[in-house]
Amino acid sequence: MDSDVDIAPPLRERGDGDRASPPRHDGPDRVDGLGTAVRVASHSLIAGVPVVVLGGAALMWGPDVTAALDHRAVAAWRTVFTAIVIQGVPFLLLGTLVSAAISAFVPARVFTRLLPSNPALAVPVAGAAGAVLPGCECASVPVAGSLMRRGVTPAAALAFLLSAPAINPIVLVATYVAFPGNPGMVAARLIASLLTSVAMGWLWLRAGREEWLRLPKGPTGHTPGAGRAEEFRVSLQHDFLHAGGFLVVGAAAAATFNVAVPHSVLRLFSDSPWLSVALLGLLAVLLAVCSEADAFVAASLTGFSPTARLAFMVVGPMVDLKLIALQSGTFGRAFALRFSSATWVTAMLCSALVGWWLL
Amino acid sequence: MKRNIQVLLLLFLGVGLLHISLLSDLYLRYVRPGLQPALIASGVLLIVLGAVSAARDGFPFNRPRTHHDHEHGHGHAGGPRVAWLLYVPALTILFLAPPALGSYTAARDDAKAPTAPKPSASGSSLFPALPAGQAVEMSLNDFTSRAVWDTSGTLKGRTVRLTGFVTPGRHGTWYVSRLAISCCAADATVRKVRVHAAAAPPADAWVTVTGTWHPTGEVGTDGAAPALDATAVRRVTEPKDPYNDVVATWGRG
Repeated sequence: MDSDVDIAPPLRERGDGDRASPPRHDGPDRVDGLGTAVRVASHSLIAGVPVVVLGGAALMWGPDVTAALDHRAVAAWRTVFTAIVIQGVPFLLLGTLVSAAISAFVPARVFTRLLPSNPALAVPVAGAAGAVLPGCECASVPVAGSLMRRGVTPAAALAFLLSAPAINPIVLVATYVAFPGNPGMVAARLIASLLTSVAMGWLWLRAGREEWLRLPKGPTGHTPGAGRAEEFRVSLQHDFLHAGGFLVVGAAAAATFNVAVPHSVLRLFSDSPWLSVALLGLLAVLLAVCSEADAFVAASLTGFSPTARLAFMVVGPMVDLKLIALQSGTFGRAFALRFSSATWVTAMLCSALVGWWLL
Repeated sequence: MKRNIQVLLLLFLGVGLLHISLLSDLYLRYVRPGLQPALIASGVLLIVLGAVSAARDGFPFNRPRTHHDHEHGHGHAGGPRVAWLLYVPALTILFLAPPALGSYTAARDDAKAPTAPKPSASGSSLFPALPAGQAVEMSLNDFTSRAVWDTSGTLKGRTVRLTGFVTPGRHGTWYVSRLAISCCAADATVRKVRVHAAAAPPADAWVTVTGTWHPTGEVGTDGAAPALDATAVRRVTEPKDPYNDVVATWGRG
């Protein structure tokens, strides 16, 4: 694959070597100033080494490496992979900012006051509250995690997780723009997505088991003496790096399917109405298009029935490769697989129902 | 992942984002132009976060004050160790930015006509007459939809100029083509126009083709395909935003 992967190990080794070296800064006071200076100098030297080495390597072997990567399929894969990561990072950062702010600054009682104490009622309220988080699905996973950490009942947090990327104003406007003169599509998307998320919340109340869900543990327990701001920073950094790693996994999987499966293959199936609904539902999982853009992709899938396109837009923000990776990072793999497959089935049913009713 | 490695990763990623969005236009190869402010803000935020972390945790190395590290090592399995993977995109955008999507992607999809436009409510023509002049600059989007759906024949007898990259077809045929994205390169859609009467330039070369419409199939049905009889093919440099298929001088995109 990439030579980039090969670049990482030297850093790892250095990190390990570092761990082995004993802490040295407990010397007597008078050498402290000198010690600090030496330490800072040596540290900046060490920190500079990978930059110089990597930069030098890139300058020296850059052309060779570029030539090796020039195989056109490989180049397309790298471009799509990079694109998915890059467009995901700002939203992931937004999501982790909100989630870190919730963990650090919003007391738990706010949520108990805002949400009905009856979990069955809290689910639809949380689902509708999804409309206030602008952004795509990368943002909602860390937020849902921090809501659970704050004592919000998991069913309600999950309803929020599913509805937020699908029904926020940005996504609805994008849908309206992608299907000009067809406001029915926007309404159908809103209703089907809300229906799915509430149904999944209730399903979790009935059939969900706590042990599937590895409740997200904050990086900060209760750090004595650490201020709110420090807690905010630590949890922001932890959540971002954690979720970012899983975003990379999901992006790699999605890019593989994106490059390997030509869209023209899909046209073979567009004649059968039921098969085409299932097929677009599956495609939404594999392509992992951002929820702000999936309406445009759905609009470009001409030849498919409106219901099939609706299924594409309902499933996309709730279940896709990138999300499954993110969820298994945040909530555990046992949860992510069960929850994603149940959500997929529910989303397909809801969009078939709403499509039959409205479109 | 150790704290200090985290700091380094945050800085790499932040600098990488600024490198592609603020210091160059490389980001246009991957995402839509509207995302630039968000990318710059993310880059700045990551650098600030890295810098604050460096200051608080003692940049960069071995201050053993973090009780978190123990938790990370053994606590929840597969914890932030997965963050190592972020080095791949971070270093990719810094040192080995991949090219914009090109003929490989364009060749995989059939030359598909754009969706049939709906008649507008006001009753005015969907395809207004082309402006007067020798050769009309057109976007591939406009040309393909006129070539396939315009039964009033506004293209007939006109000389047009199309700009795009070269996608080789079967048996020595070739297309002038564009990819359009709505959010990022993962959702690229293809527009391509078959070029007749000119030898194929190398794949992925950017060209401006001057020529006249070559009617193919029955206009107004799915059977029609956009094609051009070329009179001149000129090599041009790749535009800054390769996915932006709009002609500045005259409006329809």
